[in-house]
Amino acid sequence: MPILLFLSVALIAACGLIYELVAGTLASYLLGDSVFQFSTVIGSYLFAMGVGSYLSRYITRGLVARFVSIELMVGLVGGFSSAALFLAFAYTQGFRLILYAVVVAIGILVGLEIPLLMRILKNRLEFRELVAHVLTFDYLGALAASLLFPILLVPKLGMVRSALLFGIVNAGVALWSTYLFRDQLGGRPLLRASCIAVLALLGAGMAASEKITQAADNNLYADEVIFSRDTRYQRIVLTKWKDDVRLFLSSHLQFSSRDEYRYHEALVHPGLAAIPGARRVLVLGGGDGLAVREILKYPDVQSITLVDLDPEMTRLFSTHPYLVMLNQHSLIDARVHVINSDAFPWLQQTSDAYDFVVVDFPDPTNYSLGKLYTTAFYRLLAKHLSAQGLAVVQSTSPLFARQSYWCIVETLKQAGLKTYPYHLYVPSFGEWGFVLAGLYPYEPPLRLPGGMRYLSTALVPQMFQFPVDMLPVDAEPNRLNDQVLVRYYEHDWREITH
Amino acid sequence: MNSSRRQFLSAALVGLAGKTDRPVAGGFIDDGHGPGHQLRDRAQFAAAKRTVKIPIVIVGGGIAGLSAAWRLDKRGFHDFVLLEMADHAGGNARWGENEVSAYPWAAHYVPVPGKKAALVRELFEELGVLRNGVWEERYLCFSPQERLFLHGRWQEGIEPVTAATARDREDFARFAARMNEFRATGQFTIPMELGAKASPLDRISMEDWLKQERFASPYLHWYVNYACRDDYGVLAAGTSAWAGVHYFASREPDEKGPLTWPEGNGWITRRLLDKLSHHVHTGAMVQRIAHNGRKLQVSSGDTDYIADFVIFAAPSFLAPYLCDGLPPVRGLSYSPWLTANLTLDRLPAETGIETAWDNVVYDSPALGYVVATHQTLHTHIDRSVWTFYWALAQGSPADNRRLLLEKDWNYWKAAVLADLERAHPDIRQCVSRIDILRLGHAMARPAPGFLESDERHRLIAASGNLLFANSDLSGFSIFEEAQYRGVRAAERALVKLSR
Repeated sequence: MPILLFLSVALIAACGLIYELVAGTLASYLLGDSVFQFSTVIGSYLFAMGVGSYLSRYITRGLVARFVSIELMVGLVGGFSSAALFLAFAYTQGFRLILYAVVVAIGILVGLEIPLLMRILKNRLEFRELVAHVLTFDYLGALAASLLFPILLVPKLGMVRSALLFGIVNAGVALWSTYLFRDQLGGRPLLRASCIAVLALLGAGMAASEKITQAADNNLYADEVIFSRDTRYQRIVLTKWKDDVRLFLSSHLQFSSRDEYRYHEALVHPGLAAIPGARRVLVLGGGDGLAVREILKYPDVQSITLVDLDPEMTRLFSTHPYLVMLNQHSLIDARVHVINSDAFPWLQQTSDAYDFVVVDFPDPTNYSLGKLYTTAFYRLLAKHLSAQGLAVVQSTSPLFARQSYWCIVETLKQAGLKTYPYHLYVPSFGEWGFVLAGLYPYEPPLRLPGGMRYLSTALVPQMFQFPVDMLPVDAEPNRLNDQVLVRYYEHDWREITH
Repeated sequence: MNSSRRQFLSAALVGLAGKTDRPVAGGFIDDGHGPGHQLRDRAQFAAAKRTVKIPIVIVGGGIAGLSAAWRLDKRGFHDFVLLEMADHAGGNARWGENEVSAYPWAAHYVPVPGKKAALVRELFEELGVLRNGVWEERYLCFSPQERLFLHGRWQEGIEPVTAATARDREDFARFAARMNEFRATGQFTIPMELGAKASPLDRISMEDWLKQERFASPYLHWYVNYACRDDYGVLAAGTSAWAGVHYFASREPDEKGPLTWPEGNGWITRRLLDKLSHHVHTGAMVQRIAHNGRKLQVSSGDTDYIADFVIFAAPSFLAPYLCDGLPPVRGLSYSPWLTANLTLDRLPAETGIETAWDNVVYDSPALGYVVATHQTLHTHIDRSVWTFYWALAQGSPADNRRLLLEKDWNYWKAAVLADLERAHPDIRQCVSRIDILRLGHAMARPAPGFLESDERHRLIAASGNLLFANSDLSGFSIFEEAQYRGVRAAERALVKLSR
């Protein structure tokens, strides 16, 4: 009998510690600043336990029944604490308030447990023995919980289910107590029924835990998240809303499936259709395979080399059922060679020449990416163009980032290339710009491949006309040792967003 | 509730949230002070087994010695040998390399040379750094070049601007205007010998000059002190005002620079060694230089070289320890330095602006760190090597040299990490290795009076068959001066030989 009793002491101690750890960890995850979160969670929890211990003096009669109801309450509040906090973060503005309310509530209830239990047991054991045993098992339970939590619970079960599991333990202890102390308690079928009801509720919570976390996750993005992965290089997130699939790389929008055809037709065809008999094509960036899909519309093209830094990206766009439908299995075409490498050093170590090069890098938001928009890079690019070769460069928005756009044009010129800037409207992006560059004069194509959804031969020459608010402005060329483009870009977009 | 339970809970949770230090590998890099001190203590060396007659022996394989060799070779004169004490040539332009990157052990850049630095331009044209008047973009320091950690945040550039007051800005503007005036005099040239004239500036310290000119901004004082520590290894209070002004008034770059490479000036050493390696003997300490009739006998290991001329490109203070009958060199003073190369297998978290090439912490006794992977063409790096520079400028050089030798690697490791931790709280989680080089006599320090020092002029004018070539003849140790002195000595030797 005593050993079973003390086992339940260990169990409730473990539960108490787990709820505290859950609250502290969740607060650190969601709010950051782990030192602050853990300190304040521990502090308010311990303080609330003190309040609970103090309040225990007002409970005078029906100790066992009170103890059982307190266990049930701890089980309910603690068990659902993690789920409640996740949802509170996703759906309400008052996360901190709810966090500390939950911590204080659990603390008060846990603070009541041990004093009540000791009073229940006081007639069964000598006081000296009682204190020694209860506290020993209290600490043992805490030790077990503190080891289980980081090693097993967080990695295997996650926050939501760990809390629920220990809620079930609390309710189990309550049910068990009704048998353990039946001599003091009597029959009490109603109390047992409520134990079973709480257990059932927590069990149901356990079954629905997946849905709860997903609901919280989904609300953080505007649309339903269908894929999310952190790679060595970036975070890839795919969202879907009705028939619109969007790709975000490190939270920058890359395409929307509703209008990406505009972007990719305009990126590829004005250049490639103007090069008779182009055979070898290079794509730098563009791991989504959408530019490659357009290039594959040319039967004369014999080989397409795609260089993208992130293997996860090209693997995703070679295998994901929806995405291969979107890029029409372009990346697994026999003519396509995928190379996962950093574009600048890769280009430096190869001596191959290409008839057409698509340069589709992320915008120059930092000095690392800015290197891919420098005179040094474009000089190297020029060396890899065949005699009739052309390159097309994704060049951000000539409307929103006007000086950045014309800086890229100027940089290409400084690298000794002739430039042909053009633009179009892509609804999900706004006005967008490209630059064709080559060693020889360019003439818009007279024919385009079949199946165009946006382009026509009549439209292409019009894209080279710029309205007054997008006309060239003065800009320095972007050099490795003086990356003006990153500063222009930051300045341009700050103007828009403020 | 009881107190022990509370303690238990807190301890468990703090343990969970806290981080423990990871072990760091590394040690001291051989700096040659062992053999050097043997010389100082006049140790006995074994007798030579063979004798080689050769017109010119160059002593010292730093930039001065290599430049002398470069000049001789380029003039079609191949009958010479260069003896370097260390196992690797380079001196203050030596370098190292590991699985992450090549990295410098000392000098890590050359400012884009102006038109007067004709020799530097000539060398760079030869090495493909300068082509048809255009500097190779990949060798110019990439953006962002410099940043400063001041008041708990990084700012762009080393000139302090965070929380600068109107008076700070006024002082900086007036200082820049004064430096322009000095530049216009044409006396502050690189190489210094082309323009230097006796000047009252040489009689006071840079610190006194600032006071005399009523510059009060603490930012400006820090900045000028930083420049003196960085280029001369000494505080402004110990720097000749002429040299302090020279730092700011000598350069007028025609391109945003400087020129730099992952291994710093080791890149230049490598290229020079490619051309000259069959003349260069490393691990070849010179034990003695003695008169042998009208010639000089240079003893090194088991060989005695009988030479017409010796170009002494090692630090000049060493010469009296080697050469019979030379009086001790007392007028030259040298700064002790420490450099640490830190291998980072992950990069510290950055908030605000991006990591620059040169990263300086305001009010640190050290000089900050330079990122070896900065000059990469990669857009993504997740490992790096940082070179941490520390000129022991506070206190006397002799005391600091003793400190350098006394303290063990753990002491310096802790000091380096503690300094970096101010700007990078998570640095201890990122560093896997720290190698440390101690340089007792890293560079000449231009103290007040250096310009007209008799000793300096005596060494420059030395007319016998022992020609001095170290950058300390210029009073300060920079690449351009070392190259100039080396080339000048080579040319003088050629002229004398052809008589």
